[in-house]
Parts: sequence; C-alpha cells; structure tokens
Amino acid sequence: MSAPTIVQVDPMGGRPPRTGTWAVFAMPGVGWLIALFVVPVYAVMAVAFGSVDPILRTPQPAWNPLAWDFSAMSSLLDRVFGGDLGKVFLRTFAFVFLALAGCVAIGYPVAYFVARKASRTRGVLLALLVLPFWISYLMRMLAWTNLLQQDGYVNRMLQWLQVMDAPRNWLDGDWPTVVIGLVYGYVPFFILPLYSALERIDGRLIEAGRDLGASAFRTFLRITLPLSIPGLMAASVITILPMMGDYYTNSYLTSGSPRTEMVGNQIEYFLRGSSQPQTGASLVLVLMAFLLVLMVYYLRTTLKAQRESER
Amino acid sequence: MTSSRRQFLASSARLGVLLGAGVPLLNACGGDGGSSRKKQTEPIADGLPPEKGPLRIINYADYVNPEVVANFEAKYGVKVEISTIDTDSEATAKLASGALKVDLHHSMVSTSIGNLIEGGLIQPLNRSYLTNRGNVLNAFDDPPYDPGAVYSVPYTFYGTGLGYRADRIDPAEVEAQGWDFLWNATKFKGQVSVLDDEREAFTMAMLRKGITDINTVDPAIIDQALADVTELIDLLNVKVNIEGYKDIPEGTTSLAHIWSADLIGGAASYLPEGVTADVLGYWHPPTKQYVVNNDMMGVLANAENPVLAHLYIDYLLDNDVSELNFSWNGYLPALTKLDADYVINAGYVPENLRNCVPTNDDIAKGLRYKALGPDGDALYEAAWSKFTAGG
Repeated sequence: MSAPTIVQVDPMGGRPPRTGTWAVFAMPGVGWLIALFVVPVYAVMAVAFGSVDPILRTPQPAWNPLAWDFSAMSSLLDRVFGGDLGKVFLRTFAFVFLALAGCVAIGYPVAYFVARKASRTRGVLLALLVLPFWISYLMRMLAWTNLLQQDGYVNRMLQWLQVMDAPRNWLDGDWPTVVIGLVYGYVPFFILPLYSALERIDGRLIEAGRDLGASAFRTFLRITLPLSIPGLMAASVITILPMMGDYYTNSYLTSGSPRTEMVGNQIEYFLRGSSQPQTGASLVLVLMAFLLVLMVYYLRTTLKAQRESER
Repeated sequence: MTSSRRQFLASSARLGVLLGAGVPLLNACGGDGGSSRKKQTEPIADGLPPEKGPLRIINYADYVNPEVVANFEAKYGVKVEISTIDTDSEATAKLASGALKVDLHHSMVSTSIGNLIEGGLIQPLNRSYLTNRGNVLNAFDDPPYDPGAVYSVPYTFYGTGLGYRADRIDPAEVEAQGWDFLWNATKFKGQVSVLDDEREAFTMAMLRKGITDINTVDPAIIDQALADVTELIDLLNVKVNIEGYKDIPEGTTSLAHIWSADLIGGAASYLPEGVTADVLGYWHPPTKQYVVNNDMMGVLANAENPVLAHLYIDYLLDNDVSELNFSWNGYLPALTKLDADYVINAGYVPENLRNCVPTNDDIAKGLRYKALGPDGDALYEAAWSKFTAGG
C-alpha cells in the first residue's frame, strides 16, 4: 500500500494574485495617514525649525527644509538633557509608569474575568466598560475634584472606614492624586484591547494544562500570561501614548502645582500661552522621539512573538 | 473651476493641520490675515448705517452678560456670534491667521494691543459713533498702551493684590507685611496660589523687593524674581492658577495672588450657602506701587461690520447697560458713574471689598504693564517655564 499523497490546493486557482485590487483598498487608509499624520508632523517640524513674526509673535513656518533653523531645538535640548526640563520629562515618565502599573493591577483581572469567566454577563460587563466614554474626560476629572475635596466623599469614606483620622488634602499638588487620575482616566483604554487578546486565547490550551496536572495558578502563569503578552503590550502602548501628552489631568487635580507639571503642560504653555511656538513644536518633536523608541520596541516584540507563534 | 479646486485643497490642508496639530499650527499655515477684504487703516466715515450683521465677536467665555447681548440683538435687529478663546495669544494667533473672521475683539490686553496695532489687525475708532465715550473714567483718555485712546475703549479694569480668607487671616497682618505675607504664609501650606501669568507673578516678586520698574527686561532682575517665586514651591506648595475667584470663597484656598475684579465676582457667585462676604479680604499695595490693568475692546481692521462693532462698543459704554453687565459677571466697567460708592450702595460689592474697586487715581498714578518686545517676552517666558517645571 502506497503512502497517501498530500494534494495542495491553490485557492487562487493558479491565477496570479491581483495585488492592484488590494492596493486600492489600502488607499483610504494611506490617504488618512498622509492627511492626518504626515502633513501635521511636517507642519510641526516647519514650525519648530521656523521663526516667529516679530510683531504678532505668530509662527512663521519654514516649509523648505533647506531654510530650517535649529536654534530653538538646540536650546531646548540643552534644557531637556541636564536642564530644568529634564526633570519634567523624568516626572512625566514616572507618573506614566506608575499609572501603567495601576492600569495593569486593575485592568488585567477585570479583562481576564470578562474574557474567560463571565460568559453570560459578558455583554453587560463590556457595555459597562465602555460607559465612561459616554462622559467627557474633562467632566470626569471635574467630578474627581469634587470627590477629592477635603469635605468630599473620598475623605468621608476613608474616615468612616477609619483609614485616616483627619481629612487629607488630596488636591494640594501631590503626585499620588495625579497618578490616581491617570489610572482612572485611561484604564478603560487598557482593558478593552487586553480583553480582546485574552478572549482569543484557545481554551483547549488551558484545558490541556489543567489535564496535565498544573494548578490553576500555574496554568495561568505558564499558558495564559505568556499568550496575553502581545495584548498586554498593545494595551500598554495605547495607554502610554496619550498619557505622555496629557496636560489636563494634573491641571485639574492639582490646580496647577509646579510639583506635578508634565511635558504636556509645557507644550501647552509654549504653543498656546507664549510667544515661542517654535519651542513648543520642538518639545512635541522631542516627546515624539522618546515615544518612537517605545513604539520600535513594541513593534519588534510583537513581530518576534508573531514569528514564534507561526513556527 | 480652478479657483474652487484650489479653495478645496487649501481647506483640506487647513482641516488636516487643525485636526492633527491644533490652532497654533493652523496659524502657521495662515496667510496675511486671511480675509480678502481690504484692511481699514483710517477710521470709518461718519454717519454710515449699521450693517445687517451678524456681528462677530471674539471673547473669553462668560465674559459678557447674555442678557446684554440679547438686548443689543433686539435693539439693532441683528445676530451676535461670539467665538471664545482661552488665552490672549490664542486670540492673536486666530486673528492673524485669518482662521477666524471677526468684527470686534472684546478683550484685548495692554501687553499685546501694541502688537495688534503695529500688525495692522485693528482699526482706529470713529468717536462719532461712540456717543457714550464720555462716560469712561478720564484716566483712560490717554492710556500708555494706546496713546490718545485711538484704537481702544476699556471694557473692564482691575488691580492685582492678595485675596484672603479674613476668617483665617488677620487683615492687620496682611496690611503690615504686604507682599511678604505671601512668603510668610507657611501656616497655610497647600492653600496658597499665585496667578498663572508670568508678568503678574514676577512683578509681585519685584515689588516685594521694592523694584517698581515692572517692565524691566534686565535678566538679573528677572532671574532674582524667578528665584523668589520658586521659593514658594517648597515653602507653600503653591498652586499656579487663576481660580482664586472661586477657591477663596469656597474655602479651598486661604490666600491668593488675585485680580481684584475676580474677588468681587467670587463674592457674588461662589460663597457657600450660609457664608457671608465678611469672610473675604483684599489687600493691594499703595497707589504708586499698585498694578492696575484693563481689558479693552477694539474693531478689527478687516471687520465686515465695522459700524455695528462701533455701536456694540457704544452700547456697552452706556451706564445702565454696563451696570446690567456688571451685575451678572462682576467685572468692573471703567465708567465714572459706577465708582466704589455706587457699586457698594447698589449692593454689588460688599463694603469690606471696597478696595477691590480701583479709583481713577489708581489708574492715573499706578503701575501699568507695557509690551516688552520679542526678547523681553522670551526672557519672561523662559523664566516662567522654569518655575512651572518645578524650579
């Protein structure tokens, strides 16, 4: 008896793939990217390396790269590396890192529960997760300023639970309030992509782990967690990017304390409140450069994970 | 067809930049002021009939009583459209780029009106339309920011001082220590704020040290002012905002560097139920060291409704209209009739806040900000950026 022959079927029926058709589908996306990313970024560069109208103090962008003036960027870099703005960058990174840790601590269990355990109530829970998006971010932050007042509900609750003897002044410009605000504001952005990744994990792999004698915790540690890493990375990127440019959370929750100033506040000041828009635009580019490093790391990690899963 | 395609491309580019990078960058793409309408460099002719509108105004949010606006609309049978801004530089950027077509700038400030005049963005006023101009305090007849008051009319005026909770702080102590009181208020750490304005904050530090040249561009003096204001971060955990008008009445702030008109407005609107205005106090330096400022109205050089804009200004200079406006927003009009006695007797200002109403003498003899020029602005802004970064 001869061995069975494996017949490979060509889904295209031997015809060459019509790549042109697919390229047409990509055009709206490419157009969108050019109009809303490439052009604005170039405009930022033209402002950063341009000049300012000496009378009206409005930006005079240099559209021709040969005419770019790097003096504003140069002085800014001096302030970022070794100057006062370096402190602001470090503070921003610290706030964002702590807020991300908070998002993981709160968001992962929630996403895991909704994806793996809440089969009947999943729809309701997902709706509840999306609910905060119905209310403006600023309104939610304003609500927190009321909750965190000295005679607000947070202090009353903590005193009732006997966690504190006297009310704490949450809004007096301390960093924990900013981190709490960032976690609260961005945790829904973290949960949704993570939920999506956890929900796609093949349940049979988890069952196999349990069948082979692993405890629930060990199964989670050896199977679920590694398989959720790409989702975790995506969720982290989605939350880190807006948090890095955030300037209203700390403004609202600490009433403009210099102790909680973030990079976004400096950008806002230079672009909207000063006569040096080129400094603000340069700051945008520096922040983008930092974020680009994170993005490259994310893309490399996800590509590596993808290749391994395809082996 | 060619021109419409060009218009489409221009609009698309502007939309893309606006969505992606905001107004300052849109401004960067702007042209020569935007409007194809000829710029008015001379006052408009006498006796012209009012246009049909709509009258377009650029202003801060909630800066004028909606009832006043509605009454103007009814009187002249026109619509009034108000575009709001958050900062003075935002207004200049929008007007310079032509991103916004406006007839009237409602809230110009003394530090930038010179730029608007020099940049040809506003037109000289024709006083024949301003029949109520005589109601204005005479100290505004020849203001330093607009010699001869050719281009502007004051809208509201105010001084800069210290607002405080008189039920927590002894007024005699504030009076005795003046600006030093702010640096000594360690007992109120976490409950103190300074104005989110580089000129105001550094001027406070200069005046504290006896420097009255508040328009200095001497880097050494500005650096010293920066060092002094930075001290407040550790001493008081100071907040930087313009919210003293509500934070003091509500009690979350005990001491604030504040504009006097804001405290009047706060007393009217933000005191919790059962709390009277007696809990509020205000201190300002003696007249010759008192910084008094005003916002002013002017007509855009490319206004499509310049007559209507003049009539609106004149309407707001009417004593009764101005009183109605003041009763709503608490911003003192610079009119002779509405002096301290009048607004106190009418019940708009509590007696204990009498000194929140600057006098004609305060304006004439007090300190006034002037435009500093690009280098001067850059010095103050760099110092401010350092302070808000944490020192």
